[in-house]
Amino acid sequence: MTKEIKLSIAIFITAAMTMALYWFIPTDDENSEMNVRKNTTSHIEEKVILPQYKNTIYQNVPSVKAYLSDLKELIKEGKSVLPLPSSELDADAQKVQELLLAHPEFLKDTKQEDTLLHNDMMRILPAIISSMDAKTQKICQTSSCYQAEKYNFVTNATTRAIVDVNDMKVLAIEQYANMQPDISLRLTRIAQDIALHAPEVKKELGFTPRKKDMTMANVRGSMKESPCENTTHLCVAPTFTDHKKEQALWAVVDLTELRFAAAKWAGLGKTTTPACISERSLQNRHIMKNYCQKDTVLEKDAWKITYRLTGSDGLEIRDVTFKGKKVLKSAKIVDWHVSYQQKGAKSLDTTTQTYIEGREVEYIRGENDTFMFGYNDAMGCPMFSTSVVLPFNGPQVKELNTSNGFMLTQDFRNPKWPMACNYRYENRFEFYDDGSFRVVGVNKGRGCGDTALYRPVMRIDMDIGTKETFWKMNQGTWQAKTQEFKEKVPNSKPYAYKITSSHAESKGYYIESNYGQFKDKSRGDNARIFVTKFAQKEGDQDLLTLGSCCKLEEEGVERYIDDTVSIEAEDLVVWYVPHVRNDAEKGREYCWADTFIGDEGNVEIKVWPCTVGPKFIPIKGEE
Amino acid sequence: MPKYLPIVMTLIIVGLAGYFVVSKKNEHKQIKKVSIQEEKTNTIGTFAKQKTCAIPPKFLKQMNIPQPVIIDLSQKRFKGIALHHGKEFKQTVHPKIWEQYEHFSTYTVDRKGNIYLVPTPFISILPTTFNLQKNLYKLDSNTGKISIFMHFDDVHPSANNPYGLNAIAYDCDDATLWVAAIDESDYASQKGAIYHIDLETKEILQKVEGFDVLSMTLLKSDKGKFLLVGSARDNGLYAYAIVKNRLEDKAVKLLELPNANEHIRKIKITAKNQLELQSIPFSYTLIAQSAKKDRMIYKVIWDNKLKKLIVSST
Repeated sequence: MTKEIKLSIAIFITAAMTMALYWFIPTDDENSEMNVRKNTTSHIEEKVILPQYKNTIYQNVPSVKAYLSDLKELIKEGKSVLPLPSSELDADAQKVQELLLAHPEFLKDTKQEDTLLHNDMMRILPAIISSMDAKTQKICQTSSCYQAEKYNFVTNATTRAIVDVNDMKVLAIEQYANMQPDISLRLTRIAQDIALHAPEVKKELGFTPRKKDMTMANVRGSMKESPCENTTHLCVAPTFTDHKKEQALWAVVDLTELRFAAAKWAGLGKTTTPACISERSLQNRHIMKNYCQKDTVLEKDAWKITYRLTGSDGLEIRDVTFKGKKVLKSAKIVDWHVSYQQKGAKSLDTTTQTYIEGREVEYIRGENDTFMFGYNDAMGCPMFSTSVVLPFNGPQVKELNTSNGFMLTQDFRNPKWPMACNYRYENRFEFYDDGSFRVVGVNKGRGCGDTALYRPVMRIDMDIGTKETFWKMNQGTWQAKTQEFKEKVPNSKPYAYKITSSHAESKGYYIESNYGQFKDKSRGDNARIFVTKFAQKEGDQDLLTLGSCCKLEEEGVERYIDDTVSIEAEDLVVWYVPHVRNDAEKGREYCWADTFIGDEGNVEIKVWPCTVGPKFIPIKGEE
Repeated sequence: MPKYLPIVMTLIIVGLAGYFVVSKKNEHKQIKKVSIQEEKTNTIGTFAKQKTCAIPPKFLKQMNIPQPVIIDLSQKRFKGIALHHGKEFKQTVHPKIWEQYEHFSTYTVDRKGNIYLVPTPFISILPTTFNLQKNLYKLDSNTGKISIFMHFDDVHPSANNPYGLNAIAYDCDDATLWVAAIDESDYASQKGAIYHIDLETKEILQKVEGFDVLSMTLLKSDKGKFLLVGSARDNGLYAYAIVKNRLEDKAVKLLELPNANEHIRKIKITAKNQLELQSIPFSYTLIAQSAKKDRMIYKVIWDNKLKKLIVSST
């Protein structure tokens, strides 16, 4: 065989192998197509990021600061529409802006009585044919027409005007309720700056991003329709794309509140259109995945706490230890009973159900022609639960203002809070450096009126030992309780009760009721206490709504009290039910929230919380 | 030159073979692409509004109540079911006994005028609530009495998912019911079921598992018969093909609503190649989602040229 023939055979074999490989191994095109298909059908692993910092951090971003300053100045001058800067307008558009800012009909929704409402001129551009009716179209065929759009941040409405520039005449003005326009370049930049400034975004990206990293941020249309929690807010979603990993970080920015609202990592397929993300759905998924589907363990200072969100019993802490010693098996707020008193029981018609803001209302007739009405609010996971008040963001760990400990807290809200008949509650657990802890319920209003009585039902299952004893202070001496019982907690007695190990009286906790001494503007607990022998079915797992909202002599826990059952040297559960009356009187507000228009013409919320709950203090000498 | 002839010939053969392989592979890719495209867009074909076989309940005639009558399951003023009629629908039929099974979410009417109702948990959970979600109810056309038509032992609502039976459609072709339940589902997995039920014998003819249905309706098109279903888990509208009275195993996604939080609660065929979809936020909780402002209505048109359903809000 000649050298040439050998070479020919070698060429042939190599070529045959190359062609076989080419046929069977997918090309880059096919690979990316398969990846996209994978992304669009089975979804890549989703990661949701919720805000971890206060909204106020964005007020120092230069573009936000300048914007807020301009708004303040504008309102001071008695105006309420922030004009577009001349850099965003051509000569005709500038004339149109001038004309419209003096046009009464265009400005008619910019005031509520004498209060000026924040509006932004969003864009002024040559009129688009689809924005005009037939009559206007006819005029604009022969004349130069511009369209201008402004947005009212308070009412969430858009006003559009068509102006004939030749005659400088307003041809049409239309107002669109609950509609949001394309945003101005200034707001686009602000949204970008907020996204760039957000520490959560930097952390996720792993580097400090710059504007060039936001691949879609300059396309205004692409930033629209990314609804934040409040659908009446103007929200946009600048995006950071990582083409190599075929994923993008969508950062939802709330331009009504000028804050970072949420972010999500997602693939570059069809699933990543802005319509597929919203602050609410991101929150729901994040909370479900991280706090409803699994326990989280927090180790901080000398405390070790396992916590989770329940289906209807709010935030629950479990298996709590301090310096390695057992403290609590479980603590949670299982319900908030909400009731209102009114006159007119005689004429009350209860033959058919009444619903307020989606809740079924219960009526209880009282004395002197009065009646109580209200409902029970269950807090819990945002999906797959029986909750009616939703968690916002996940549980947060914060330092106490007194610098001697920290708190684990969860915010629960009706989505429309602080509108009437909507509620906001905080489930909070405070842990102190000295081994004390406090179970806290915070009510932030607003409810249906100024005669509300709120009753959070707290369940506290201590873990002092397998055998526990409950003590009551009676005329200066401690007396052990022998049977399950309920009673009103005496006010202003520092330690009315203690719970100890049955084997060592020095090992345990005093129970300090709140009578206003905790410097949190609380007006006291006015609580009732129940002590029961532990039973699995009595609240160790999720409890559905417990008892009546409105029978004020009943807290719902009575069903677990049997005064023939001994609690001597048993595994005990303490139930604690504060009674809190709200107040809406000016200067005396309590458990209340109100909205008003602030210096920048925007809606602001003022909250007067009421904070209740007992503190547990370790008995000295337990060491 | 003859010395190099074998090399030259080999190069020519390899070149031709290479060209053949590359062009064949591209052709194969094109075929694959086209078939994927078709599968995605041309599922249910063209369809028309069908005349229903349902008739109004006969007891209304006995009570001298003229048509039209509105069936009210909003649970706002009346628990259970209420029927409104007369001028501006201001007159109401709502015997107290119609409240005995608590709240209903949707219904279907058969060719005899019987109304079949599916339950819903509503705001407060009572000791009876979970059990009530296991039943399919019937408002009898002749007597006007509501009774439990069928009890489903395999439906288990709980505090982690209070829903049971939740969607229904009557099949005029064979007098059967299509009913859905979502009780078994949790956050991690979709375990809903669709039941096909013989009305006469109450026999379950078929049970298809693995899909959480929030709404359903039957549709006939030039491509066959379909059960259209709105998903409780996402913002999609899906179609199950019905072949020989049996659902095919897999649902095909037809479209997505613009907002991820919206779930299709009502599907109506309004005209030729036109659907109306009504959406609500839904998260398997008891949060009231019946407020009018929470509902969105979309018009869907089948574009025969694009072979695609086009969604627009109304």
